[in-house]
Amino acid sequence: MTRLIVRRVLWTIPVILLVILMTFLLMRQIEGNPFRTSERAIPASIQANLEAKFGLDDPWWKQYVRYVKGVATFDLGPSLVLRNRDVNDIVREHFPPSLELGALAMLFALVFGIPLGLLAALRANKWPDYTAMFVANVGFAVPSFLIATLLIYFFAVRWGDIFDIPTSGWTTWQSKILPTIALGLGPMAYFARLTRGSVLETLQQDYIRTARAKGLRRRRVVVVHTLRNSLIPVVTAAGPILGFLITGSFVIEQIFAIPGIGRYYVTAVTGRDYSVVMGLTVLLAMIVIVANMVVDILYGILDPRTREAR
Amino acid sequence: MRITVRALLAAVFVATFAALAAGCGGGNGAGGDGGGVIDQVITINWGTEPPSLDPGLATDTTSSDVLLNIMDPLVKLGDNLEPVPNLAESWDVTNGGKTVTFHLRNDGKWTNGDPVTAKDYEWSWKRTISPDLAADYAYQFFGIVGAEDYNSCKSGCAAMRDKVGIKATDDHTLRVELTSPQPWFVQQVAHTSFLAVNRATVEKFGNKWTEPGNIVTNGPFELATWRHNAELDLKKWDAWRNADEVKLKRINGRMISEGTTAVQAFEAGELDMTAGLPPEELSRLKGTDSYSQYPGLGTYYYGLNVKAIPDVNQRRAMSLAIDRRTIIDNIAQADQLPPTGFTPKGMPGFDELNPSSPWTPENGDLDKAKELMAKVANPNKNVNLVINDSPGHREIAVAIQSMWKELGINTTIRQQEWAQFLESLGPPPDPSVDAYRLGWIGDYVDAMNFLELWTCKSGNNNSNYCDPQYDALVAKARQTPDNDARYKIYGELEDKLLGENGAVPIAPIYWYTYVQLERPSIKASLNVNLLSQTDYTKVVEVEPS
Amino acid sequence: MSSTSSGERTQFPGLRRLKERRYLRLPTPPPPTPTASGDAGAPIRSSSLWRDAWYRYLRNRAAVIAGIAFLALLAYCVIWPIVSPYDPNQVDFSQANDSPSLAHPLGTDQFGRDLFTRTALGGRVSIGIGFAATLVILAIGVTYGAIAGFLGGFVDNALMRFLDALYGLPYLPFAIIILAIFGGGSFWTMVIALSIASWFTTARIVRGQIITLKENDYVRAAHAVGARWLRILARHLLPNTLGVLVIAVFLELPGVILGEAFLSFIGLGISPPDASWGSMAQDGYRAYRVAPHIIIVPSIAIAWLILCANFIADGLRDALDPRTRET
Repeated sequence: MTRLIVRRVLWTIPVILLVILMTFLLMRQIEGNPFRTSERAIPASIQANLEAKFGLDDPWWKQYVRYVKGVATFDLGPSLVLRNRDVNDIVREHFPPSLELGALAMLFALVFGIPLGLLAALRANKWPDYTAMFVANVGFAVPSFLIATLLIYFFAVRWGDIFDIPTSGWTTWQSKILPTIALGLGPMAYFARLTRGSVLETLQQDYIRTARAKGLRRRRVVVVHTLRNSLIPVVTAAGPILGFLITGSFVIEQIFAIPGIGRYYVTAVTGRDYSVVMGLTVLLAMIVIVANMVVDILYGILDPRTREAR
Repeated sequence: MRITVRALLAAVFVATFAALAAGCGGGNGAGGDGGGVIDQVITINWGTEPPSLDPGLATDTTSSDVLLNIMDPLVKLGDNLEPVPNLAESWDVTNGGKTVTFHLRNDGKWTNGDPVTAKDYEWSWKRTISPDLAADYAYQFFGIVGAEDYNSCKSGCAAMRDKVGIKATDDHTLRVELTSPQPWFVQQVAHTSFLAVNRATVEKFGNKWTEPGNIVTNGPFELATWRHNAELDLKKWDAWRNADEVKLKRINGRMISEGTTAVQAFEAGELDMTAGLPPEELSRLKGTDSYSQYPGLGTYYYGLNVKAIPDVNQRRAMSLAIDRRTIIDNIAQADQLPPTGFTPKGMPGFDELNPSSPWTPENGDLDKAKELMAKVANPNKNVNLVINDSPGHREIAVAIQSMWKELGINTTIRQQEWAQFLESLGPPPDPSVDAYRLGWIGDYVDAMNFLELWTCKSGNNNSNYCDPQYDALVAKARQTPDNDARYKIYGELEDKLLGENGAVPIAPIYWYTYVQLERPSIKASLNVNLLSQTDYTKVVEVEPS
Repeated sequence: MSSTSSGERTQFPGLRRLKERRYLRLPTPPPPTPTASGDAGAPIRSSSLWRDAWYRYLRNRAAVIAGIAFLALLAYCVIWPIVSPYDPNQVDFSQANDSPSLAHPLGTDQFGRDLFTRTALGGRVSIGIGFAATLVILAIGVTYGAIAGFLGGFVDNALMRFLDALYGLPYLPFAIIILAIFGGGSFWTMVIALSIASWFTTARIVRGQIITLKENDYVRAAHAVGARWLRILARHLLPNTLGVLVIAVFLELPGVILGEAFLSFIGLGISPPDASWGSMAQDGYRAYRVAPHIIIVPSIAIAWLILCANFIADGLRDALDPRTRET
């Protein structure tokens, strides 16, 4: 077991290096000048000054090595476009709102999705099932930008007096409601379907039949035996989904003016702010890889059937 | 069974509401008194996060909006964009226009107690020109003796620095030596690049001197709060030299970049002013009392690659075919002005310049356009139009695409992201670019700013247009300090571009206006000048009549 | 199901394992179906896996409705633009922003272009991108997974570790970078951007399948008899994986469609005057206070497609897996 853990941990290092290299090379492929933000062309001498200042005139491998050294000391470098800020500052200030948004959306998705899925499974292939699944699916299928738009319009503008919900921002708890719903509806649908499938599967297990045959009341059977066992896959899936919610919610952040990391990422890519893009990608990749590793290990511990054959 | 499920669901819902009610961390509300109370506290929208509040590094309008209110420029711009004394109480122009001497007031102060002296300006300007800062806008200073050399120096820079023609002869006198007479120089000093920074603060905090808590300013407002990408609030600085004139106590600023969200925030009472409006909402908002419109100093145009569309008749035809009135009324919708030339109305000297191009009729002239097209021997029938992906440009491109279709031209619209778009434009523009969309907003208030774009070597000439006679006229204008004489030359330049025999390297579409929503309580005193700047010292909340 | 509504992809091992478990339960040799009770004496109808699956599918009402709705949508997108009386690119401002009416069943957009026609055309692009990207995903995923599964050992290990690295790249931002490299705006660049970051799960699944199937008795038997690996691959392994792949198509499709919608929404989509549902939604977003139908129409189209794909996928999965029984 320890060997497994140690091996997995050690493997993450070359993986991260590879991620950095790939992002680095990719960014270099995009044409665009990080220093030219407006139509006004930059005189060549100033362009030269800027490149020298940020070390962009060195050959690419030299820049790569310098960058990796920086990452090792947790220094992600200065931003090329936001001249008074470092990538570390940007991460420190903007990561928490994204994390919070992701966590809240996840909570919402779990709290509403699981009961919905349970209801659907217990009444499988009858109308409650179809309705519940339809409702859940609508949450998934309708793009979240439309949902966000409608939510803002109805709850913040039209009925603003009744609800006292602001249209945008991420400050008071009221401002967090709409973005959470807009972002969380999709995962909610996902969890609902997952729960439904898992519960249905569990219900066919022999031990459930045994429990029923023993004469246990249905309620006890459902709650105690079925639900607990069905939730394993849901809980396992929850980890990765959390990763997504954090790393990629930029449309919601854009619409609700939330100062999160997603918005910065898109701005940095379009503005060719290489260091911010690299820094954020490395950060997100590390989160994903570490989460991956933890889940792998946990899963290996929890469910011996799925340990990978080596 | 039902009871169980329902109980489960009920329990879940109750738990959720309880959690939400308990709140996920209080957090302070972002200001916003939403217009009900007259308390001289307003909430505005800066639009985006200002990339930098360092005057040496600020190149965009948001940073400029903030800086012009927290700093004290030497000179401000009046209603007709003429220079008005501010921190400089007077100035002398001598030596044939090549020397400008500013006399500073003696009551300027920094928020840390230091007095504002001419030495601050000398140090700050030289810092912006210095190669170490690598300031984008260093070129604004290239009209000053020795500035360009200092900026591109590789060694012996200390000596170069001393040779730069900016000298604080005493604490309140700043003498500037120019390379040639530049009548617009004093107005140019109103730009954010010419603001001063506090030397002690910059030296102490380095790169981070603009962070709240470190930043030291000398203007009517000071930085109260700055949560990056979320909120930037200003409050009145009571120790400013003219603090009595300032009525507003606090300006809370949001950063909502999505125009639609900003409009909704305004309608929900969270903002007292939006920054701009999405064109699609204009038809709905135009009649309301909150709507406000200001003329701008800028031209929205389509550039035509002279090498890709070599026949001037085709270029003229393409410009003629554009029905500008339809575009203005149906797409842009903000009462922009149909252009009669390249230099926009509102520019000093416009009347003397009197651009009157026959190639930019308001309603387009399809018949004449078709006639001209017929004369073209080898027309370029497949035009690649390159635009950037901001809202509004796509719609105009689609409309123009259908207008050019009438001439038998198939236009392919290539929408690119901003950085890539700029790369395609060069100059020189990528050979695949036949036409492109661009807008030019005045940097300083003289037509030179617009007309010098089309010289052969200009870094902003994206049309491959090169006419040595044009360049000669521009050089001549540069050496003509007398306004009337110079405006005549500008008239000739406009002729060369868009006159009867003009080369038509561009097809102007409209002259900009600025539109926004404003709460009636501040509408009367709020003004956005031609360069889209708002002076908050003049704003006061009153009971709407 | 493999996506969330923000268009993100799920690429995690816990989830992979879950999906693999579902897939691995495909039976390998097809069992003969017993006839219904009460038919004593009737000849035993031999039936194949596929016919059984078809009948099971048909019993699932939701899946059938979804299937019909999906085909209807496809038919609309393919046929309507051909017969439509409207030119989808004709700009006519006098008719701009009209609400749905008899003349324009879905209204007009801000240029006065008929939305019923443009939605069909947009559907061609969106569904086209969806299927193209899905097929590319399958192609890359199957190849990669098959090589890894088949060759095993060091090659397998190296390939899987490389895959781990690729998993680390966040999906949508990565797609943005790819689009920035190739220059957004065309059909194929969108396909590449959307597929490049999404094939990982398919690769893993296929690899898992191949590994399991490799150990199966009938494969070993074929090998013992002297069949070449290529023949085994073609005649035994792939057909059994086919079921998995068909399901995979309908599972990946929603993610790709939403990804395309999101990328178009932030402005990186198809160049005008062509449209995809995502770019139509982007156009409509700013105008929704004035003409809400402009954003609602393409959003409903997207939702329709995704719902159908989901139900079809569910139906296929239940149909191909005889161990799932209704309660």
